[in-house]
Amino acid sequence: MEMIIGGAFQGKSAYARETHPEVDWKNGADLEKEDLMTADGVLDFQEYIKKELKADQDVTDLAEELSEKNPDIILVSQEVGYGVVPMDAFDRKYREAVGRVCTSLAAKCSKVTRVVCGIGTVIKNA
Amino acid sequence: MMTVVTGGSGSGKSAFAEDKILSFGPGKRIYVATMHPYDEESHKRVVRHRNMRAGKGFETVECYTGLKNLDFSEDGGVLLECMSNLAANEMFEEDGAGENTVEEIMEGVKKLKSQVRHLVIVTNEIFSEAAAYEGDTVRYLEYLGKINQSIGKMADEVVEVVYGIPIWHKGGKGVENAVEQL
Repeated sequence: MEMIIGGAFQGKSAYARETHPEVDWKNGADLEKEDLMTADGVLDFQEYIKKELKADQDVTDLAEELSEKNPDIILVSQEVGYGVVPMDAFDRKYREAVGRVCTSLAAKCSKVTRVVCGIGTVIKNA
Repeated sequence: MMTVVTGGSGSGKSAFAEDKILSFGPGKRIYVATMHPYDEESHKRVVRHRNMRAGKGFETVECYTGLKNLDFSEDGGVLLECMSNLAANEMFEEDGAGENTVEEIMEGVKKLKSQVRHLVIVTNEIFSEAAAYEGDTVRYLEYLGKINQSIGKMADEVVEVVYGIPIWHKGGKGVENAVEQL
C-alpha cells in the first residue's frame, strides 16, 4: 500500500498521476465501499471518509479492512488536521476520523509521500 | 533531554510521545494532563487518552493553569500534554494568566526542565488552514505560536508526527541532514 498526502491544493493528484501513469484513478467522493475495496488508486480519499460519516457509517475498522482486501491500493488524501479545532461538531469528528484512519493506514504502507508546493518528499520508505 | 512533539489533529502525536518517555527506560513517569474536561466530547477524549496510557506506568497530575506551581523533585520523566490546551486555559479561564499567558507558561516550562531528567511536551500545529480568524482566536494562535517557538529553541529535539511518521526538525535522526538552525 502507498499513500500520497499533503495540504489542499499542493499538487497531490498531479503528483500521483505523474508518478503512477498506469493507475485508473477513482474519486473518493463518489466511491462505494465495494469499489474502494477493488480500486487501483483513489484521489481525495478524505472525501470518502466524509461521505461515510455523513451516512452514519463507522470508519473505526476501515484501515484494517482496506489493508486486508486491497493491500496494493494507492491512496491520495488531504491532511485536514492543521487548523484551529472547528466549532462544528461534525467537522471535528471528520478531521479526527481522517487523522485516525490515515495514521493506521500509514503504518501499513510501504511508502508514504508528502506533497508540499507540488514537491513530493518520501517520509516513509519501508 | 527535552523533546517537543508536534503535529496535526489525530496524527499519532500522543502515541509517539508516550513511546518516547518509555524509551528512556525504567523510572518515574508523570503525565501532566492539561485538558479541562467540560463536556461529553472532552470527557471521551480524556478516557481515550487514559486507556492509551494504561499499563505504561504513568502517574497523572492534572494541571489546567499555573504550570509554574508544580514541583517535581524526583528524578524521572514528565510528559506534558498538550500545550495547546494549557495555553487556551491560561488565556480564557478565570484563574488563568490572560495576556501574560506566554510568559507564565514559559516560566513553568523552564522550571520543569530544570527539575526533571526527561521532558516531553506535546503541542499542536494549528497554523495552516484557509479560515481567517479574528480577536481572541488570532491572539490564541499568536500566543501558542510564540510558545512553540520558545520551547522549540529550548528543546534538544523537535519532531513533527505525520500520521505516525516522525519528521525531525531538530535533533533526533534528522540531525545529520539538518541545515543550520537559526
